[in-house]
Amino acid sequence: MNASVTPSTVVPDADLYLPRMARILEILPMSAREKFLRLELPAPLGHRPGQFVMLSCLGIGEAPISISCGPRTDNILEVVIRDAGSLTHHIHGLKPGQYLGVRGPFGSGFDLEAWSGQHLLCVVGGLGLAPMRSLIQPVLANLESFSGFTLISGCRTPAEELYREEVRGWEQLAQGNSKVRVIRLVDRTDNQPWDGRVGLVTAPLHTLEMDPANTVVAMCGPPVMYKFVILELKARGLGDAQIHVDLERRMKCGVGKCGHCQINHVYCCQEGPVFRFDRIAHLAEALQ
Amino acid sequence: MTAFLVSLDAVSAWIRHLACGQTLYFPQQSGQSGLRFLPVDNDSEIRFDGYQPSLAPPGKKLAPAEEPLFRYRVGTDGIPVIQPVLDASPRILAGVRPCDLRGIHLLDQVNQQGHPDPHYLTRRQQTVLIGCDCLTPCDEHCFCDAVGSLRWRENADLFLTRIDGQFLLEVQTEAGQRLVANQNFPACPDLAGLKAHIEAQRAKPFGRQWHADAGRIPGIVASQWSSPVWDKHVERCFSCGTCNLVCPTCYCFDVRDDFQIEDPSAGQRVRHWDGCMLPQFAQVAGGHDFRPAPAARQRHRVKRKFEYLNERCATTSFCTGCGRCGRQCTAGIDIFDIVNDLIDHAEVTP
Repeated sequence: MNASVTPSTVVPDADLYLPRMARILEILPMSAREKFLRLELPAPLGHRPGQFVMLSCLGIGEAPISISCGPRTDNILEVVIRDAGSLTHHIHGLKPGQYLGVRGPFGSGFDLEAWSGQHLLCVVGGLGLAPMRSLIQPVLANLESFSGFTLISGCRTPAEELYREEVRGWEQLAQGNSKVRVIRLVDRTDNQPWDGRVGLVTAPLHTLEMDPANTVVAMCGPPVMYKFVILELKARGLGDAQIHVDLERRMKCGVGKCGHCQINHVYCCQEGPVFRFDRIAHLAEALQ
Repeated sequence: MTAFLVSLDAVSAWIRHLACGQTLYFPQQSGQSGLRFLPVDNDSEIRFDGYQPSLAPPGKKLAPAEEPLFRYRVGTDGIPVIQPVLDASPRILAGVRPCDLRGIHLLDQVNQQGHPDPHYLTRRQQTVLIGCDCLTPCDEHCFCDAVGSLRWRENADLFLTRIDGQFLLEVQTEAGQRLVANQNFPACPDLAGLKAHIEAQRAKPFGRQWHADAGRIPGIVASQWSSPVWDKHVERCFSCGTCNLVCPTCYCFDVRDDFQIEDPSAGQRVRHWDGCMLPQFAQVAGGHDFRPAPAARQRHRVKRKFEYLNERCATTSFCTGCGRCGRQCTAGIDIFDIVNDLIDHAEVTP
């Protein structure tokens, strides 16, 4: 008998592709292109920072969406949706009380416990703040575990800034706590009121006070941002193993089957989307 | 395990008999397009000679071109109800050649790993495989021996070899044993002697052969990220994805929702074949494409078959050597030529 080659003993997960239905509690505009959604699930999601869900609207489709809230014990899931395709456009038109499908959580996420005692530097570009908030919330709630926290968050214009009130709350926290620093930037002000800096997220890295031996970096933003931020970090003496990147790919299943998110031999949805950079630095397709 | 020596007529009658009880797929001529694995009925011809690989490999019966993942209906209270769909109907795939048996074995591996896929595995667990040996290469595209598929038979429940006008029928599993119960097939008197005779009859060399030892190929493919070979072959490529669709080990899919046009409150989520050679396969929302160049997509496909998936599935090659991609390619691009060119290129620029 060839029990090893016939799959008769494997018990598949019959629910693998079945979404749980989540009710929209709140849907609020954040900018011209982004909306914030608070959803109520049938049971707690039980996620780690940096994981994602497959979010769907029945009859329209399904897409991978970053989890935007820190780990929680209640049934709440928060996401930020950019109007970028047919599904996300449809979601923008939904109202509280309507339902979305949720599968997950999927992916690796950030390993906060491994960073205990270190200074955490988060570098964020644009919509990258949505997933990074799932990391920032538990870090700020547990600051005693870290020697410090710095957020460098950039977007193109003041109108595109996400989580305005919350980020200002973090800034206020920084004013009373020397362990916390918050730097907000825009590429250009477009003649709109702006109380932060003007420039790219790489600019503050030149002069940022830091102890390279005791710093870990988490970053999330557009592909072009990673290359330049990593160059700056290396110039400051950080190694690849201290840098963590959150990558975007077109997951269609979230469970390592559909093939869409493959980076060379790595499945972004399984081994990622958060990677320690030394584990993917040699992959030619990682930061294209 | 048991082995029988059976006449062609008895094998044909037995296959027809099996097809009465459940769906049995056997390679049959279909118009001008060659062989296809189609359900056997009263009019079906059971032929083993002149075999050429079917248009689509038989493993695709386990992961059809389009299949529902679930059905849904939104109730009057606005709450959607999900109804799971799993196809657990029993089936037999008969006349499956060694390359395609190995293709199914490799699909088994990827569908069992990590999160086991319920749709594939439910079908697979209800499927009996009747393999059929090849003693001569099917045509000039075949290279099954080069990738280690020619003598693959491990996952066949029953295995047929045509020799001297008869069939050696070997029973390899209990599921296979059930299919030959009460058939009163005559036992094979000297199995070892007959097997030695079969090996002596097998063509040598069998099909196309690599320019290097097969064991070196994953290393050679892995060593060549930037190579003129990638541009040479892709010049003729239309990015049509035919090579993906006919490949016995391509399993990538896309997912979409189909609502009922007459009742949009109900519908189904469907997955359907997708191919890494198709444009936009690696495109994300907003338009950024992580593999926009056809040469990069072809490199990805070749590396999947000879490098990326080998380690995950503990195999030397994720290509089965069936030759379908080269045989079906409109532009005559053949993965065998690409890999041999990579070998040649590695020899001159180590």
